[in-house]
Amino acid sequence: MSKTFAVIRREFIARVRTRAFVITTLILPVMMVLIAVIPALMMRGGDRTMRIALVDGTSDSLGSRIASALAAERLTRDSLAPARYDVTRVAASGRVTALRDSLVAFTGLSRDKNPESFDGVLVISDSTVVTGRADYLGTNTSSFESMGQLEGSISKVLAQTRLAQSGLDPSVVANAIRPADLNATKVSDGKATGQSGAASFAIAYFMAFILYISVILYGQQTMTSVIEEKTSRIMEVIASSMRPFQMLLGKILGVGTTGLLQMAIWGGTYYLISSQRGRLASLFGVSAAAMQSLPIPVMSTDLLIVFLVYFTLGFMLFGALYAAIGSICNTVQETQQYASVVTVTLMISFFSVFAVMKDPTGGLGVTLSFVPFFSQLVMPVRYSLAAVSAGELVLSLAIGVAALLAVTWLAGRIYRTGILMYGKKPTFRELFRWVRQG
Amino acid sequence: MSSYAVRVEGVTKRFSGHTAVKSLSLDVPTGGIFGLLGPNGAGKSTSIRMMMDIIEPDEGKIMLFGSEKSPREMSERLGYLPEERGLYKKMKVLDQLVFLGEIKGLKTSEAKRRSLAWLERLGLGEWSQKKVEDLSKGMQQKVQFAGTLLHDPDLVILDEPFSGLDPVNSQVMKDVVVDIAKSGRTVLFSTHIMEQAEKMCDRVVIIARGEKVVDGSLAEVKAEFGGNHIALEFTHDKERAARILADRQLIARVDDYGASAEVELASTGTADALLAALVGEGVGLRRFEVVEPSLQSIFIAKVGDAAKAPANQEVA
Repeated sequence: MSKTFAVIRREFIARVRTRAFVITTLILPVMMVLIAVIPALMMRGGDRTMRIALVDGTSDSLGSRIASALAAERLTRDSLAPARYDVTRVAASGRVTALRDSLVAFTGLSRDKNPESFDGVLVISDSTVVTGRADYLGTNTSSFESMGQLEGSISKVLAQTRLAQSGLDPSVVANAIRPADLNATKVSDGKATGQSGAASFAIAYFMAFILYISVILYGQQTMTSVIEEKTSRIMEVIASSMRPFQMLLGKILGVGTTGLLQMAIWGGTYYLISSQRGRLASLFGVSAAAMQSLPIPVMSTDLLIVFLVYFTLGFMLFGALYAAIGSICNTVQETQQYASVVTVTLMISFFSVFAVMKDPTGGLGVTLSFVPFFSQLVMPVRYSLAAVSAGELVLSLAIGVAALLAVTWLAGRIYRTGILMYGKKPTFRELFRWVRQG
Repeated sequence: MSSYAVRVEGVTKRFSGHTAVKSLSLDVPTGGIFGLLGPNGAGKSTSIRMMMDIIEPDEGKIMLFGSEKSPREMSERLGYLPEERGLYKKMKVLDQLVFLGEIKGLKTSEAKRRSLAWLERLGLGEWSQKKVEDLSKGMQQKVQFAGTLLHDPDLVILDEPFSGLDPVNSQVMKDVVVDIAKSGRTVLFSTHIMEQAEKMCDRVVIIARGEKVVDGSLAEVKAEFGGNHIALEFTHDKERAARILADRQLIARVDDYGASAEVELASTGTADALLAALVGEGVGLRRFEVVEPSLQSIFIAKVGDAAKAPANQEVA
């Protein structure tokens, strides 16, 4: 057993120490963080709190009501989000123009040097209620969105004031003008896909893709490393020290551990980003609210575990096949004939994932999530899109493990003979004989 | 326990069409240095691979240490250096050695300690953290040699250990091999360089075309080959010796090296007659010595005969 462990450790270290592994393992999490944070960072510029000076030229309470209405506005719908406006009301007491001009002098200055600087000056007069006209002088007048929001806020107060002047109860008015809140749900094929339908779809696709790519990449690596051992003849030294099955097992587990480490780092990063947005936001100094609006579907803990378990299973299943192929070939070129059989299986499995995504509860998806060579990709996808019972999961895993044992046994038989064969590639009939031989 | 480290009994191995090893039997006694000699393609490596259970014989059986157990189960007691050298190119030298020690059952810490000691002994101390591919071929060979011996095996099987080594490295390896034999352990190595074998081996087996042609201790082999052998070294006028050396009344066989030669006297010839003839002809001699037949000449005679045998049959 300690010999197998020595092989596991060797394979693991040989891979983890490569520059390619370090770079690919680290770059994806960094990109994930950037994708999560950058839009929020960029939004911070456009969607920050505006400092507004309100020149109140009214003789009644209209100015102060507009000021408090503006102060109540938030940057997002979230009631905990930062205020949209920081309003300073200045009573004009007749000198509207002079006051406005003196305040404009404090507008649009660099924030860093003049923290008291304003972003805009809003002028309200008695005639505003009647005509609806108000003057605004500011730095952000070209932003349709900002102007629209400002207009909307003022309009609301004006509407309330006008309705109140016509003798309506202010509470009735407040209730009447409460805005609609649209709750959007995606419908596909005549069925509601659930609130986060689009989101889990993206996560399912992403998972299937990562699984597919890494199983192929690591599988090929296993294959090449067997060929390297054959050509360098180090195989003879190893073969005379341990049973070929120990060697094969060590190799598959070693490469598998490497893959699992990478997947755990990737999946774990994603899991943390999607579940710890608040912390990430404060880490980068962006508002939590801005981060919240990002389209990062949440990856649940159990999905992460299912993903990693099926990855490990699929990885070892295909890894054993790739190792067996490596053992019967002498060059990487020679492997193509055999490897294509495995790669095509994997591709069919990948494409079947699309059928499952379309209809996660359909017969095809359910069936394939139990079939070895398919379940490794299909089950995590199905799990992310629809409810899968614990019983189904256990059955699928049990079949997967049984298949893994069978395939490893088969691969071990081929490997045992193949690793010491140099020269002509065996035919499929010869392979069959190798397997049968006791 | 048997006093044989290796016992090969009637082993035959066929590869698609041709017989690589033909009913070979040989015993390697415990302790000492054993040479498995033969020309290229004689079946030396095939025999060694069968001893290591890397390939299985078609017929016959092989026992190591008098035990029926598979060599793999006794790999802690065996050290094997394959003919075609190979290490993991991208691995660091020290890691590589530790790995080789671990698969022979050493604990990691112990493997590391011994690896460092070996690297120091072979003059590779400061290369331990370098990748194998950065080392010269000779250095790689020494690393692999160290890997073979790390676990202090009782039986060391080396397939062509000296091929491709410069004289200095060759000397280092030779010293190590001799040390192992001194400590009572067994070394079996194959080679086709007879000088090396002659200097080092206690016993030799020569195989040609899969069959054993010579077997015994060096002294036995030489005595059995018999004949009066004379070593000659020339200084000048060597060409004048040509007629004398061609005289079949005087000389049965010549092994001509140019500046030197080893001759076997014919039954009708004597050393005195040969010396008189050479001096009389005016051949400049630096050496004229009655010697035992060299392993080289025995090898040439035996293997040459074996090679000629089928040709003669065809003529007949």
